[in-house]
Amino acid sequence: MIDWRPVLLVLGFFVSLLGIAMFLPMLADLGHDNEWHRDNWKAFAVSSAFSIFIGAGMMLANWGRVETLNLHQGFLISGLSWLVLSAFAALPFVLGAYELSWTDALFEAVSGITTTGATVVTGLDDAPYGFLLWRSILQWFGGVGIVIMAVAILPMLSIGGMQLFRMQSSNTGEQAFSDTSKIALALTTLYVFVTIICFMTYWGMGMNAYDAVNHAMTTIATGGFSTKDASFGYFLNDPNITGPVDMVAVFFMILASLPFGLYLLAMRGRVKPLLKDSQVRFFLGLVAIFTVIVLINVFSHYNNHLPTAFRHTLFNVISVMTGTGYASADYGLWGPFAVGLFFCIMFVGGCAGSTSCGLKVFRFQVVLAALWTYGRRLVYPNGVFVAHYNGKPLTNDVYISVLNFFFIYFATFATTAVILSLLHLDPVTALSAAGSAVANVGPGLGDIVGPGGTYQPLPDAAKWVLSVAMLLGRLEFFTLIVLLTPSFWRG
Amino acid sequence: MSGLRSVLFIQGVMIGFIGLAMIFPIMADWLANDDYDLPDLAAFSLSAIVSMIIGAGLAFASGATKAPLSLRDNFLISGLSWITISIFAALPLMAGNYQLSFTDAMFEVISGLTTTGATVLSNLDTAPRGLLLWRSILHWIGGIGIILMAIAILPMLSVGGMQLFRLQSSDTGDKIFAGASQIAAGITLVYSGLTLICFLSYWAMGMGAFDAINHAMATVATGGFSTRDASFGYFFDNPDIHGPLLEVSSLFMVLSALPFGLFLLALRGNISALWRDGQVRFYLAIIFLAVLALYLALLFSNIYPALDAARLAMFNGISVITGTGFAVRDYSAWGPFAAGLLFSLTFIGGCAGSASCGLKVFRFQIALKALHEFGRKLVYPHSVVTEKYNGRPITPAIYRSVLVFFFVYFTSFATIAVLLSLFHLDPITALSAAAASLACVGPGLGEMVGPSGNYASLPDGAKWVLAGAMLLGRLEFFTLLVFLTPGFWRS
Repeated sequence: MIDWRPVLLVLGFFVSLLGIAMFLPMLADLGHDNEWHRDNWKAFAVSSAFSIFIGAGMMLANWGRVETLNLHQGFLISGLSWLVLSAFAALPFVLGAYELSWTDALFEAVSGITTTGATVVTGLDDAPYGFLLWRSILQWFGGVGIVIMAVAILPMLSIGGMQLFRMQSSNTGEQAFSDTSKIALALTTLYVFVTIICFMTYWGMGMNAYDAVNHAMTTIATGGFSTKDASFGYFLNDPNITGPVDMVAVFFMILASLPFGLYLLAMRGRVKPLLKDSQVRFFLGLVAIFTVIVLINVFSHYNNHLPTAFRHTLFNVISVMTGTGYASADYGLWGPFAVGLFFCIMFVGGCAGSTSCGLKVFRFQVVLAALWTYGRRLVYPNGVFVAHYNGKPLTNDVYISVLNFFFIYFATFATTAVILSLLHLDPVTALSAAGSAVANVGPGLGDIVGPGGTYQPLPDAAKWVLSVAMLLGRLEFFTLIVLLTPSFWRG
Repeated sequence: MSGLRSVLFIQGVMIGFIGLAMIFPIMADWLANDDYDLPDLAAFSLSAIVSMIIGAGLAFASGATKAPLSLRDNFLISGLSWITISIFAALPLMAGNYQLSFTDAMFEVISGLTTTGATVLSNLDTAPRGLLLWRSILHWIGGIGIILMAIAILPMLSVGGMQLFRLQSSDTGDKIFAGASQIAAGITLVYSGLTLICFLSYWAMGMGAFDAINHAMATVATGGFSTRDASFGYFFDNPDIHGPLLEVSSLFMVLSALPFGLFLLALRGNISALWRDGQVRFYLAIIFLAVLALYLALLFSNIYPALDAARLAMFNGISVITGTGFAVRDYSAWGPFAAGLLFSLTFIGGCAGSASCGLKVFRFQIALKALHEFGRKLVYPHSVVTEKYNGRPITPAIYRSVLVFFFVYFTSFATIAVLLSLFHLDPITALSAAAASLACVGPGLGEMVGPSGNYASLPDGAKWVLAGAMLLGRLEFFTLLVFLTPGFWRS
């Protein structure tokens, strides 16, 4: 039997933490001078009290010293915490100024916590401060959560080839979680630090403090929630902005898409791994290539004005590729080629161990290595070819789990798209919404879910399907799917 | 380089053979005894002579050698033959009544040989008979060609997991073609027999003899070229037709998508091999479920009366799954769910060793088993259980080649769709044309390339891209892609 006590203890801790975090948006609301905005504080107060009450209850009921967690408990915590936190995080949306339905509230919360950035709310520019701040906080939590999971937990669970990133190669499942807390602490510190720098830069360039806080949190989380309907486009036309604020965002989005584990090494004085890491190089190479291709294509769209075209191209390519989902322009208008390419690159994502989403760069590298050895094998059936990744030989286990990952990824994408079309969405909306949800990007293509629209008009069932797709994509599928297999619960 | 001589010799024989096959359209034009058909008659006669001279010349110049073919020679023959044959088969289309451009002629011929069935021609009902017959013959030759390749050559080349279908399990790369000629003769016999029965059934149900011949060849090859603009819709609305034409045609499409090797076994008295085959059962189950889903979708949309809906769902569903591409009604207009479902079904194809194209059923089975085994390994990292397929153990090498195949398939699909959007095709046309070409189905979705449109209006560049896609899909990618690896050309 699975011992549930440590699992519930950890979940209770997370829920209480979420409840405490709700103080921040509550204070933001209380500080506002508009009546309607100020009233929103009650929603946070009630939700906060409720979350802390339930969370503390769960902790007290299961109190005890947690020595080690086994594999089953690791899976349960990784999978369940996201579901439970989404449910509690949705409370203030239901009770708050917009009185969202449960469907909408959960969609917004899941979209936040998975760092997707798809929204059902319009009129952001006038929304209550607390409401907007809460969305940004959710993304920020989601971002740090996934980094810790990707660095400390997923490699032990061997999910989708993540075993390549085990810190000590001798670790195997059972005795895995010993130094998790140390790593988690270091990563969190780093994450907070980078967010603060990002905030200062935004602020220094003329964003007001409140916008700067929100955007700093959603930039580092590669989330994409904005405080403006026009997303980042608003700041490009704002006379108060004194610096190239979009290029700052580009810098931090890239920073957030690189492996955070390497930053830890770099801070201990070992900068070389960061510069020499093949995943980092491959990612930067892809960014450069895609930017050039799109730039050639949209050059004429911007009246052949190179600097403008370059800035918009770079910003939107990186925003889509890293799964952030900010928009500085409606790239839906850039013609079919750019749109098609954007649709494809949103599947790429960033590096493993970062806050970004999608298939992840290292998986492409493993597949290319598989193709290479496979091609050699076709010509020389008796040859022995071993490909290496960052100095480690790639084993059959790694190949098969990575290729499985691709398969389940596209199967999920296709199933989601077909279900959406069953709900009478047009093909472009269905395909792009499905792709964007699975890859945690945010905006899709077309009039409804494109950068200029919202997910509000979709039928309720579609929002549920998309919420599930976002969670699956964010948790790398197997973390959730494994909970559904009968053999997990046996024995 | 005795290998290269053998390769050229075989090319010569193939070209001569194509020239010989042109006798049939010549006869058809001659028998039609119509002035309108005269330019076509001349074109075919001229092309036949040119092909036979060049073919014979090439064969004699290179001279037959008894030297055994190496693995590399086999790859060269498998890849090159399709391209050389296409070029010579396109001659009469350029010279005949329609005076097609080189692009259009190559597109039509490649679409024919790969059993795709996408056409650039319209007004088929009044087209010269020789031309119509030639298109069907190309289908028929392409169909038997791919079956022989899939049974005799691909398993030895280990393309995309086809090593599972090696006839003797002890075979390795080089000493391959021992029993091949016998098997080839048997398969050709089965294929011809099936075509004959199909022709007789069509004829008996009231199709004209010429229509029956053409459609029989296109059905058994899972091709999809018709002699009518309305495709099978013409016969559906024709009062002369008596009997269950759609049902019979569906039956033959399904038969052609089953492994022909098993028919051979069945003829030798081992009928149970056909029923007990895992691939066949899985395939029939997929067809049943897909047709049922399509039927329900049609029933709810109230477009057709219940009985018509059942027949149309069955015929069009099977036509798309098997990659035939006949159409009775424009299924683009059946609403988003039917369109989405049919689009997804495009990818499935048929069984390995059949005339149909697509990903092939056994690859889905292997991928599912990989997922199953992977899920168990996640929970029990030390479990060792080897999955079996039709009694053979699935090795890591098979998993890898199947999963790599999936990856290459979807990457090619995405690349082709993006390339097509470069020619300013709308997303639906680009996506569905890419999928329909890779899976050799023929018609896509939307106004341009849907069942009621045709490919003539696409820009030339798009036609070449699609022709390339058909060849890639038909030859299972690696047969062609291996030419691009430097290792292949090194000796």
